[in-house]
Amino acid sequence: MSPSFDFLPSVKNREATKLLPWAMAIMVYLSALFAAGSLLLHSGFDEWASSLQGRVTVQITGEEKSAIMSEALEIQDELRGTPGIKSVRILSDEEISALLEPWLGSGNITDDLPVPVMIDLETSDDAYVNLDALESQVRQYSENVYLDDHARWLSHFYNLANTIEYTAFSILIMILAASICIVIFGTKSSMAEHKKTIEIMHLMGAQDHMIAKAYQNRFMIYGIKGGLGGLVLTLLTIYILFILIQNISEGLVEIPSFPFLTLSSLLLFPFFFAFLTMLTARVTVLRELGRMV
Amino acid sequence: MIRSLKGLSLLEFKNVSMGYNKGHDVLKDVSFKLEPGSMHFLTGPSGAGKTSLLKLLYLAHRPGRGEIIMFGRDVAKSPREELPKLRRRIGVVFQDFRLLDHMSAVENVALPLRIAGGSGAQINEHVEELLSWVGLKQRMQAFPSELSGGEKQRVAIARAVIRRPDILLADEPTGNVDPEMAERLMYLFVELNKLGTTIVIATHDNGLVSKIGAPRLHLESGKLLYLEGTRPPSEFLNQDGEFKI
Repeated sequence: MSPSFDFLPSVKNREATKLLPWAMAIMVYLSALFAAGSLLLHSGFDEWASSLQGRVTVQITGEEKSAIMSEALEIQDELRGTPGIKSVRILSDEEISALLEPWLGSGNITDDLPVPVMIDLETSDDAYVNLDALESQVRQYSENVYLDDHARWLSHFYNLANTIEYTAFSILIMILAASICIVIFGTKSSMAEHKKTIEIMHLMGAQDHMIAKAYQNRFMIYGIKGGLGGLVLTLLTIYILFILIQNISEGLVEIPSFPFLTLSSLLLFPFFFAFLTMLTARVTVLRELGRMV
Repeated sequence: MIRSLKGLSLLEFKNVSMGYNKGHDVLKDVSFKLEPGSMHFLTGPSGAGKTSLLKLLYLAHRPGRGEIIMFGRDVAKSPREELPKLRRRIGVVFQDFRLLDHMSAVENVALPLRIAGGSGAQINEHVEELLSWVGLKQRMQAFPSELSGGEKQRVAIARAVIRRPDILLADEPTGNVDPEMAERLMYLFVELNKLGTTIVIATHDNGLVSKIGAPRLHLESGKLLYLEGTRPPSEFLNQDGEFKI
């Protein structure tokens, strides 16, 4: 193993790489933000989709409230006797009003509004429910009955979520590529700035690995410094966004508590970037030195 | 050890030619041999190829043609990875000193030892001793910007000899100093040579060459004329025939 020591000039003289920690901070900030968005979207969507899994909503419409209610009661009885169905429950007027309130406003749901009656169905975990057969079964009690297992809507949502995730992943890759370019540029600039020092080291018998080690150690510190700064900014941004979303979506969607566990993986970002910076600097220095005799 | 191999060549150039960027050759068919413990001057007018020859000697360049046998290896064809170890056996005093501006005199001199992986205490002791020997005991912590031309030159020489190299190359070592300092530096080289170091000094100073009387490698338009050394004038020798500078 070649001995190592820091022969490069001190901080004040490092003009070429003075801004590198800032550039790394921005790169870590952007990548961590995209990764966090992707992670939150993924876990949030999974949680929400699994809550809809095994649930079917039965909707009965009609002009006469009492008529559709009696149809609903008959359908409820019918469904309770159907194998594979765990629970059947007619939603109360208050529950339906609460569902409509975010869209129609509080106190705007009057008695003359043709609000449908809704039945919430929960199927057994291991049961396969044939939605068409079930619909034919309940249609004998009402012509205006609709069943929805949310599958169609969920599939659209899955596609959207996947597209967003892939886009975030592509952006992440682009940020990584840009970071590598910045480090290569910084390393080359620094080498040009300290050309005389490197030449002297080289002529006095310093091996390429020794010179590369001095650079990789220094660039790793830039990576960690910038990375930690970027991470703090990311967590701060996510927290502020989370609070804002929580305030805006109050009553519309149920927002889970701050996902500390999910976001804990972001703690690896500064170290990953530091490693990437170190490796890129090392490879760049070795390649440049390889051109010397 | 190379120094004990009396009669064997430490360095040999066989029909070496060299040019830059595929241009015309600045060194043409150069052949010579240096014995261990010998001392030579490298002379010739400006543009004759002295610096190019020195570059080949301190392994900063490869020849276009020919063989350079150094320490028993053909360095013209040696893989890159082998060269650093060979470079550590060569000390170089550059005309422009090439000290590292961000390091003190003591740090500059310690550089070859640190590159070779020497330990801290050992390095300090050795470096301080050598800097005292070249008369810079009081200037050890000074940076190159705080040193005079002569002081820089002595730091550069101390750095070149700190590891007791097998070959010491000096490019115009007296070019930037006053006559008195030039004489002291030459005394230093002669002493090192007595200790067994092979020395090549590139110079324009004919007075210096005739004073020391060592053999000359004289270059003219890239061609080498190997001139045997003449005995120095008797006023420079003591009763035992040694230099009394």
